[in-house]
Amino acid sequence: MTEGKKLLIIDDDPDFVEGILAILEPAGYDVETAYNPKDGFDALESKHYDLLLLDIMMGRGAEGVMIARKMRKDPKLRQIPVLIITGIREQIAYLFPGGPVHPHFVDVDELVEKPVEPELLLDRVSALIEASEERKAEGS
Amino acid sequence: MVKPSFSDEIANLLHASHGNPLITCIQCGTCSGTCPAVDYMDHTPRRIIGMIRANLKDEVLNSNTFWYCASCYHCTVRCPAQIDIAETMYALKRYSIWKRVHQEGLVGPTFSETFVKTILRSGRSFEPILATSYLFSAGVRELIQEGVTATKMMLKGRLPMLPPRIKRLDNFKRMVSRVIPLEAE
Amino acid sequence: MKEYAYFPGCSLEQIGLSYNQSSVETTKVLGVELKELEDWNCCGATTYFHVDELLAYTLCARNLAMAEKDSLDLVAPCSACYKNSYFTNKHLREDPDLADHINYALEEDDLSYSGQIEVKHLMEVFYCDVGLDEIRDKVKKPLEGLKVAPYYGCQILRPKKDDEDVEQAEFFEELMSAIGAEPVPYPLKLKCCGGSLLISNRIAALSMVRNLLQNAEDNNADVIATACPMCQVNLECYQPQVNQEFGTKFQVPVVYFTQLMGLALGIRGKKLGIGKEIVAATPLEPYTT
Repeated sequence: MTEGKKLLIIDDDPDFVEGILAILEPAGYDVETAYNPKDGFDALESKHYDLLLLDIMMGRGAEGVMIARKMRKDPKLRQIPVLIITGIREQIAYLFPGGPVHPHFVDVDELVEKPVEPELLLDRVSALIEASEERKAEGS
Repeated sequence: MVKPSFSDEIANLLHASHGNPLITCIQCGTCSGTCPAVDYMDHTPRRIIGMIRANLKDEVLNSNTFWYCASCYHCTVRCPAQIDIAETMYALKRYSIWKRVHQEGLVGPTFSETFVKTILRSGRSFEPILATSYLFSAGVRELIQEGVTATKMMLKGRLPMLPPRIKRLDNFKRMVSRVIPLEAE
Repeated sequence: MKEYAYFPGCSLEQIGLSYNQSSVETTKVLGVELKELEDWNCCGATTYFHVDELLAYTLCARNLAMAEKDSLDLVAPCSACYKNSYFTNKHLREDPDLADHINYALEEDDLSYSGQIEVKHLMEVFYCDVGLDEIRDKVKKPLEGLKVAPYYGCQILRPKKDDEDVEQAEFFEELMSAIGAEPVPYPLKLKCCGGSLLISNRIAALSMVRNLLQNAEDNNADVIATACPMCQVNLECYQPQVNQEFGTKFQVPVVYFTQLMGLALGIRGKKLGIGKEIVAATPLEPYTT
């Protein structure tokens, strides 16, 4: 089920990425990493992925939102399911005390907040890939 | 892929910077010689760049250097390697704020937070509120000095009594939540 | 009559009130109209960049978009507002992805920005657009004998824009000469006043102010002239603190270049906000009547 599925993580936090890899790789996923938004988008444009795991706060600011929006405008990239994993509330919470992460700020498939439980992560990743494959099957 | 080092992390933060990467630094010290606040920094700008390149993450994060940068860009315009040093200091501040790690007792991080919060609530900055972030760390003598200056300015009509705000504040707040996906209060 | 979108910035509402008054009055006499942006917001000074640069660009872009709607170039009298607006404009023009994203945010305020306008510092309007000849022609009371230390500060010149000379600037001196004043040599004229450190590192800021005051005094300046409200407040209002901290006795008047221009153009001192100083501007008395 997970064999041969190719994932991309765009996240600037090497420790967090290491943790995610330790969950996804043993489960059989082939995971590639990009540590800044530019390398991340270049990878998306040059290779095929079954799912994108995307951070929000990177580089100049909330660049994850920029990437997600740009993908949704691209006929090819818009097919890729996007799972946002963010620590934004922790990172700049003082700006909006008690405010929730805006659920509809951009059209992504799902958003979870760091830290993320391994079971939850594996569950979301496989559910999102499955749903996207069903969509593709229906479309063809 | 090899796990990125601290210097890679800073390079990633600067991915869209308009200067050269820190790796091109020749350690000439022009930045330190130019910096007007260098006497108050625990590491000079030249040294901080060297420390980033040596991956001394804890020492860098624990220094006051980037919090004492006055954003005057004198180092940036003089750097013979065209490194945007002031921009690097901003990147370090972002890194420090996002990770919630900084030297204890610094006013800078609290000030940044108060300032940004004030503007996101009203669209305008308001000096009397900003001063409150400073009061926690000030001594009695400084407080009296500030009080005297503030009173004089008030008498000359130079200090506002009420916080200003923009008119289309709701639009403004929705605009902000499109770039920072958090819902305002 | 040349018209501009005027972005006074937060400081000019109160702390820099006399800068606002003198800017409005002098431009009127010189045939320049400043149309204040209707609902401008704070430029973010330096602190947005500590948190999120995209937010910084968004807020500056809102002001740019409002000016573009009126097809007017944007003028800022504050060096920090100028620098932030100028570089936001530059980045938005050079980076289509960034512009697209910021425009998505601007939609919430029914605005959009396409990079069609220029951003200028108020001094640039006087120096480049009005021109020294025109100013000389309009001078009614040349400020003969007034020794002025022309203080540029940081962000009017830096970061570097295009081929600008950031080490040997002379435009401030030329403007002062054009109104009959005598610019004195001021070797520290490009050094930072520490304005942004006043709260986060008070002693560093005060020592930077001390150096600038000392340098003006050593060169026998009657007044320091500034082109930024942060510089003005820092250099003037913190003199008592500098004196207490370093045992000095500075009493150096610090005025806006627009106040000096206004006097030379024959505008009454009161209309230029003269009289709101904490360090009395006594050297200006011969020229205010």
